[in-house]
Amino acid sequence: MSRATSGFAASSESGSRVTTSGRTAATASGREEANPLKEGLRLQRVPKPATLVLFGGSGDLTRRKLMPALYNLALQRLLPASFAVVGAARSAQSDDEFRTELHDAVAEFSRTKPINEEVWEAFARNIRFVATPDDAGYDALRAALDRVDADVGTNGNRLFYLATPPPAYVPIIRAIGEHSLRGPGWSRVVVEKPFGRDLRSAMDLTNIVHEVFREDEVFRIDHYLGKETVQNILVLRFANGIFEPIWNRQYVDHVQITVAESLGVEERADYYEHAGAMRDIVQNHVLQLMALVGMEPPVAFDDRAVRDEKVKVLRALRPITEREVGARTVRAQYGRGYIEGKAVPAYREERGVARDSQTESFVALRCFIDNWRWEGIPFYIRTGKRLPKRSTEIAIRFRVAPHRIFDKTASEGLDANELVLRIQPDEGISLTFGAKVPVQGLRIRTVNMDFVYGASFMVDAPDAYETLIIDALRGDATLFTRRDEVEQQWQFVDPIIAAWSRGVPAVASYAAGSWGPTEADTLIERDGRSWRRP
Amino acid sequence: MAPTVSGDVDEKVWGAAVPSIAALERELARLRRAAGAHAKEVTDAAEGSHAIARAAVLNLVVYADRDVHAMRAARTALRLSLRHPSRVIVVYGDRSREGADVEVRLHCHVPRADETTHVYYEQVLARVRGDADDRIASVVIPLLVPDLPVFLWWTGTPPQDTRRFDDLIALADRLIVDSSDFARPDRMVPVIASLATRQRGQRFGVTDLNWTRLTPWRELLAAFFDVEAWRPCLDEIVGVRAGFSVDMDGRDIHPSQALLLVGWLASRLRWQTKGHLAPSEAGGLLFRLLRRDGGPIDVRIRPRFENGIEPGDTSGVRVQARHAGSLYEFVLKRAPDPRHITASVIVDGDTRSLRVVPLPSPGVEELLREELAIVGNDHVFEEALHALVALA
Repeated sequence: MSRATSGFAASSESGSRVTTSGRTAATASGREEANPLKEGLRLQRVPKPATLVLFGGSGDLTRRKLMPALYNLALQRLLPASFAVVGAARSAQSDDEFRTELHDAVAEFSRTKPINEEVWEAFARNIRFVATPDDAGYDALRAALDRVDADVGTNGNRLFYLATPPPAYVPIIRAIGEHSLRGPGWSRVVVEKPFGRDLRSAMDLTNIVHEVFREDEVFRIDHYLGKETVQNILVLRFANGIFEPIWNRQYVDHVQITVAESLGVEERADYYEHAGAMRDIVQNHVLQLMALVGMEPPVAFDDRAVRDEKVKVLRALRPITEREVGARTVRAQYGRGYIEGKAVPAYREERGVARDSQTESFVALRCFIDNWRWEGIPFYIRTGKRLPKRSTEIAIRFRVAPHRIFDKTASEGLDANELVLRIQPDEGISLTFGAKVPVQGLRIRTVNMDFVYGASFMVDAPDAYETLIIDALRGDATLFTRRDEVEQQWQFVDPIIAAWSRGVPAVASYAAGSWGPTEADTLIERDGRSWRRP
Repeated sequence: MAPTVSGDVDEKVWGAAVPSIAALERELARLRRAAGAHAKEVTDAAEGSHAIARAAVLNLVVYADRDVHAMRAARTALRLSLRHPSRVIVVYGDRSREGADVEVRLHCHVPRADETTHVYYEQVLARVRGDADDRIASVVIPLLVPDLPVFLWWTGTPPQDTRRFDDLIALADRLIVDSSDFARPDRMVPVIASLATRQRGQRFGVTDLNWTRLTPWRELLAAFFDVEAWRPCLDEIVGVRAGFSVDMDGRDIHPSQALLLVGWLASRLRWQTKGHLAPSEAGGLLFRLLRRDGGPIDVRIRPRFENGIEPGDTSGVRVQARHAGSLYEFVLKRAPDPRHITASVIVDGDTRSLRVVPLPSPGVEELLREELAIVGNDHVFEEALHALVALA
């Protein structure tokens, strides 16, 4: 391979050196189209040549998720013709040791088994390792990256992946800048969640990242929501003519968002004790769902337009002030109970949890989006661990028919129409409406019209990390969180956490395996409504 | 699944015979209810059971005049049903009894690929005997599920100027053929080209499963030229060699895939034709094309015997370019075994890049699955075909 040097050295010269401002992205996509063989609808959208620089190369995330994902992408012919992986970590090891370690990790964790040795061997040829314990290590990394560009033909395109624990983010990002690790092509950085633990820390981290990367080069991971789900919601809302006209305060009575897990904290007590359901689920996952269901139609189906609209919803969220926090929020911890017939311990009895812990495992909120579309329409949110079953859904409850021509006995079994977007499990959509019960006089009952994605289009959803890596390599940021999005999320959540820390409202409790504390029922029943049973 | 005897169909595969279309719809409704009741029993234990879903995203009409093709269609459709739930209407034209009394018999069945899924699809067999060409459409039209696209899978060679083909194609949004099934595969280009020409002014799209088989080859060839150092080679190509597999005694010559691959390169890179296809040794073809700048490109299509590859399947491609005083060769070959492709770039004899990817050998249902996902026309295919027509 070493003889190849001359061939590619020419390329990085002739390849565009435009690295200033937004030009790189534009030129990059322009170049993709310049390959006339890539036209047509069948060919998979393979990213352009690039190097993946993996910080935390010997960490758990690399072994369990990233390498198996890369290997499966190689199997599916989704990686570019020229592609290299350069691992970086503090402790030293040789390229071969690194390859062996990754090989064993892939063999253990790949979703396809057994491992295809022919494919692995060709793929592993372009895996390198560099130890970066100090400045000299980062200089060696730069030299290695330049050599890879020349040897493999990766055109100076680099994707930096921070697969390290959060405390390492700042020193690595600074080192990328100080040691000029950015290449002559495009450079992007992927930052794993959690991105900060409040508004202040999220802004600080972004500011440091911006010393080296532009915002459009920053890819913050938040993959609770699969790409399919996001697209399914957008398609339902904006590819159909019949839903959007009624998707507003004129016709909608209220919206319920449920994110229920039956699991407890399991092995994550260490992290969860400091996060709680608010930081773990509400700040990112629930607010994302709320943005998708509440947003205005974007001007285009691209990452920028979609994220613009999502941010607008987050900005319109009515803040929950300290005065209202007692009336609009509920926090709770699970006590002992039963899940699927098995006795489970209370939250404070879990390993790694303080006996007097105040961390919430359940949150219910009453939210409002203050804009023309949603003024006055409550969005009820609840999420928790150790609820009876795993279920994520958005239910849109419509107003009842304005005038009842059927007498009360006939319409006893009739509810308002409800459109439910089911996300987990069995992603699908169902609509309830009233229908006449056949024969026996006039009686009306609510029936359910059900659509399950898996039943109409049986396709295996790709692994989340495979999608994320491909999207980051292609520069598609739809699935990643933008600066203003993260900051708006924290801005909404921070004051609630602050008020809670002063003890208001008190932490309620619920039995494991129930649908949450009575306080949560009161929250919604005060408005004359009730929770759905998901 | 024994072949049928003396024109009687296997009712295990095709379901019971019904006397009329109205009776057929009643029978399907009954079968749906029965399947629904069964599903309810299975899921009643689970809370919130869902009724069995009648899911349909397309109509698939299959025309077969051989029993093996009809049976293959039933098997394929069953496996496809999970991803492309549909109503499948198999028209089995039993032409061996030509001249006998005209007879149309209907059978229907609601097979399920897998007892655990709540999806089923509907399969209808219309067996037509005797000289019934002009009646086929009258059976198919009322059976189509309204407002869903109609795919016509014509097994065997599409005939010219026949009522049965013309009537069915008039209903179709998309025509699927497999030139590997043609009686004279070497005559593939004129046959499909005539379809493509007829198709102008009509609304259906045409596709050949031999084109579908090329998708991974095209992907890998295209990927070479994402590397900037190699992109300029596209304008400096001097030769293309494509190999296709033949059986040991070299009898069955199926050059469709190799030809389509060359046609694709020629149409994408806007090469011009000079002269016509000329046969060369042992069923190969040798001809010359011109680059946009007028430079000559020598094309050689060669049959090769290789173990473990279906006759007609691509065995390898080599694209040669003269760039900056060097000979660049972009090579795809089935190595280290027929289930893998090794993609390499060789500059003046030195291997510069090498990768290995698996090459699954797709069965008819995988190929069809790719086709059924496309509702409109595949312009890239049509352009590749037109480039070949200019040569023929």
